[in-house]
Amino acid sequence: MSVVRVFCLLLALGPAWASAESRFPQPQFDSGHVVPQAAHPPSSLEHVPPLADTLALVLALAVAALLVHRVRSRRWLLVFTAGCLLWFGFLKRGCVCPVGVVQNVAEAVWAGGGLAWPVAALFALPLLAALLGGRLFCAAVCPLGAVQELVIIRPLRVPRALDAVLRLVPLAVLAFGTVLAVNGAGYWICRTDPFVGLFRCSAPLPMLLAGMAVVLLGMVVARPYCRYFCPYGVLLEVCARLAWRRVEITGSTCVNCRLCVGVCPVGAVAAPREALNEAARSRQFGHFLRILAVMPLLVAGGAGAGWLAGAALARAHPQVALAARLAAQGPATAAEAEAEGPAEAEAAPEIQAFRRSGRDRAEVASLSAALVLSFRRGSAWAGACIGLVVALRLLGLTRLSALSVHEADRVRCVACGRCFPACPKNRRPTA
Amino acid sequence: MEQGDRRMTRRAAAAWLLRAGTGALVAALAGRAASRPAPGRGVWQIDPRKCIQCGRCETECVLQPSAVKCVHGYAMCGYCKLCFGYFLPDAARLDEAAENQTCPTGAIRRKFIEDPYFEYSIEEGLCTGCGLCVKGCTNFGNGSLYLQVRHDRCVNCNACRIAEACPAQAFTRVSAASPYLLKETLS
Repeated sequence: MSVVRVFCLLLALGPAWASAESRFPQPQFDSGHVVPQAAHPPSSLEHVPPLADTLALVLALAVAALLVHRVRSRRWLLVFTAGCLLWFGFLKRGCVCPVGVVQNVAEAVWAGGGLAWPVAALFALPLLAALLGGRLFCAAVCPLGAVQELVIIRPLRVPRALDAVLRLVPLAVLAFGTVLAVNGAGYWICRTDPFVGLFRCSAPLPMLLAGMAVVLLGMVVARPYCRYFCPYGVLLEVCARLAWRRVEITGSTCVNCRLCVGVCPVGAVAAPREALNEAARSRQFGHFLRILAVMPLLVAGGAGAGWLAGAALARAHPQVALAARLAAQGPATAAEAEAEGPAEAEAAPEIQAFRRSGRDRAEVASLSAALVLSFRRGSAWAGACIGLVVALRLLGLTRLSALSVHEADRVRCVACGRCFPACPKNRRPTA
Repeated sequence: MEQGDRRMTRRAAAAWLLRAGTGALVAALAGRAASRPAPGRGVWQIDPRKCIQCGRCETECVLQPSAVKCVHGYAMCGYCKLCFGYFLPDAARLDEAAENQTCPTGAIRRKFIEDPYFEYSIEEGLCTGCGLCVKGCTNFGNGSLYLQVRHDRCVNCNACRIAEACPAQAFTRVSAASPYLLKETLS
């Protein structure tokens, strides 16, 4: 029990380890014992040149482009997808990946630099590839996409309205994930990665369960993470919309047999639409004008909602959380601080760390207030962006142009290649 | 016909302009992010001066068991017979029996050197990174036991889970060339 008393006494004195070095000076050994040195294994990262990783990505994107646009073979794409899953997923352990790098880039752009160039290249290369040849990264290179691609069994058609609503989720993840990363509240997008535990063959239970849920859902809803969560997909979609070469379903001319519509798991085949007659055109134009009129409202509404949500978002920041804890504890007087000594062991680790750091409560509170304001501003911008995209997507519904054949929707198509063998015009006549 | 062709080329030119603009934007973002270049991504490490041994290193790591282990800075060790990292505060006897040991997995080896000195070493295969021994040694001893991310195990996540859960913000990125913050060499 005397040890316990010593324990309490030492805690009351304060756990200042700076003075601890002299507590028990190291003995001079009569036996000539030599004090050993602990061995520390070096970081394996030193041995991997970053250039090789960047080149591997460039090569993978080039091969994907070749398979999608020149070879046009579903089978080879599948083989290549499996290969990329092995290399980028299981061998490279799936981290760091372009989906998460969005946050590093946002943080570094905000801070004015400081990111290693291979990481920045990881962000830029798939986007540049999407500008040239569509979502080639999604097609075969991304290990997250590959896992989901390989488990598609019987994809259901997602109703259009539900699809339109769910497609706002990735946008929100991107916008708010960026706000969190830029404000120093950690990389929330990385925390929601469903498969990185699979690649490491080790994961905490929630991550494992989330991964299993995505795989199970992915059997009936094709690529649920890609379509309805992936924040990098939003950027890829923007670039793929402007792609130089779109994914061509047929090698010759479309005969509108609709076979490709049936095999497309992500609902990315645009069906032919009639040219509108004069009355319908003027009605569409009316819709267009009305949406244009409410556009400022949508943007302002998004910004307002973002401002309100900002305070809740800010709680993800450790300093804001600490300030909230301290405030919940009530005001501390000097006498109370004295009395807090023995209670040290029961206090939350955050409070213990705060006490040990010797910081002032007021300092934490003012820092927290500044952070909350910064979060509010950021999330107001994020909300405004979401409002703007919602308005733009509504405007996109009022298009007038006609379409006479079936073609791949540039935005939704992930270039999985299922339509290549399905199209009868692609089959070579057998002898 | 001719007019149609000309309209198509105009459209194509506008598309190329947009494409080039977007490409330039992407390149500019990446370029700005990589300006003021960092020597490398670096690797995660615990600053032992900030660590408060809350125990989350054991539970929060994406690897099970955790990539964080206890290391022993022998140069700081007092070779105590009554080691507060090794023995529980209410240990009945100062021997190797499990009920007397702080370490829940018995990962600390105790070796007699000469009276009254003992040497303590960590069996890393058994260590779970819970930090109980570190707490004892830091509070009552010289603090020669401390937690470090072991780089033969760490997979260097983009966002370290422990770093995000650490109440003392003791996790930092350090250069991959010297990936440890050894307490005996820190001032």
